[in-house]
Amino acid sequence: MNASGHGFTTADRVLPVFDLATIGLVVTMRKDEALLSADEAGRLLVAVAAERDRAAFAALFGFYAPRLKSFMRRYGMSASAAEDVAQETMLLVWKKASYFDPSRAGASTWIFTIARNARIDRLRKEGRPAAIATAFDPSDEPEGPASGEAAVMTAERDERVRNAISRLADEQADALRLFFFGDKTQSEIAGELGIPLGTVKSRLRLALGRLRQILDDLK
Amino acid sequence: MIKHHPSDETLFRHASGTLEPGPRIVVAVHAGGCPVCAGRIGEFEAFGGSLLQEIEPEEMETGALDRAMAMIEADSSGRRKTAPAPRLARADVGIRLPEALEGCGIGPWRWIGPGVRWSRVTLAGDVDANVMLLKVAAGRRLPEHTHVGSEYTHVLKGAFSDARGRYGPGDLDEADDDVQHQPIVDDDGECICIAAVEGQTKLRGLFGRLIQPLFG
Ligand SMILES: [Zn+2]
Repeated sequence: MNASGHGFTTADRVLPVFDLATIGLVVTMRKDEALLSADEAGRLLVAVAAERDRAAFAALFGFYAPRLKSFMRRYGMSASAAEDVAQETMLLVWKKASYFDPSRAGASTWIFTIARNARIDRLRKEGRPAAIATAFDPSDEPEGPASGEAAVMTAERDERVRNAISRLADEQADALRLFFFGDKTQSEIAGELGIPLGTVKSRLRLALGRLRQILDDLK
Repeated sequence: MIKHHPSDETLFRHASGTLEPGPRIVVAVHAGGCPVCAGRIGEFEAFGGSLLQEIEPEEMETGALDRAMAMIEADSSGRRKTAPAPRLARADVGIRLPEALEGCGIGPWRWIGPGVRWSRVTLAGDVDANVMLLKVAAGRRLPEHTHVGSEYTHVLKGAFSDARGRYGPGDLDEADDDVQHQPIVDDDGECICIAAVEGQTKLRGLFGRLIQPLFG
């Protein structure tokens, strides 16, 4: 469906952003193939936590590991590094399953935050002497940078955010999907399209502003 | 009452994990005391969750699941052990530091100019990140400066003002590279901030210029 093999698909359509198709950065997304619903994933996580259920873990692995690998590739990781982070994330999912609270976040959001932190830890280790790196266990880290969030009622947040994305213009939703993976991608887009980085950044600001407006309207 | 927050773009990058380590800890300090920003980060994390859910999967290598199952068995039997994180020295800087700085090393106050002291903040995983506490005496005016990367300054105590407004406890000042400012601290007391600049290798801007000689 796309050249890089790790984009997003939406039904059978490919949605190009800023003629990205020409530069092999097509972002497509998948909507109709719900192999594992959010509720199911949540139930599997609870089973892993409560019963150390290996079959439930295997089912989660089957769905999330290939997506985590693809996700990490979008951040610019090599296939083997992305594979490692996917493995590391799934191991942390196993270890930390008891911290998953379905009333606070959906399974995919929770697993995303673990993967994000695992990637950050990997970047740290790459930039440091091995002696220090081995002394650092990512599972000792607090759960993501956003502490102080505990009081916020987040049960409906995932739903509201999904709803908001669906109301964004396709071009803006695609822009956010691209920008999510970092500055390197932004510079790449700017370079490949021959437009200034500032133009790319202002498109991001516009898309974020629109998302903010819709999210606030939905509150 | 918090009046100045990080931009949505910064919170988006924070949530996606693409903000640099220095700015990341300053934003984490802010979000730890700001439910508005904590909520927005949560929304952007949910955006990340929906991306993960919808992304086109990429096949794992042969035997990946077997390796994962072997790892969790090893974990369950306690065979996979990791050493505890090293403890970093923490000097007493005279104020209660926010929770987000737990585990960070805190250096002693050092004089860098009349009425201005700084303390190096060392991140457990990113010893090279340029993060510092800055203590400026009441009424003290800081030298006018510009900077190349964005500068993130979160006020822990006291207040300062510049042409763009007044920044009090809990406020985060996100100054773009094109901002030229000359902050002045309120007359009635010292101001303590935590600050980071973007750019790993070279300190820039006000803090950079003040501190560069010390990092040599
Ligand atoms: Zn805020």
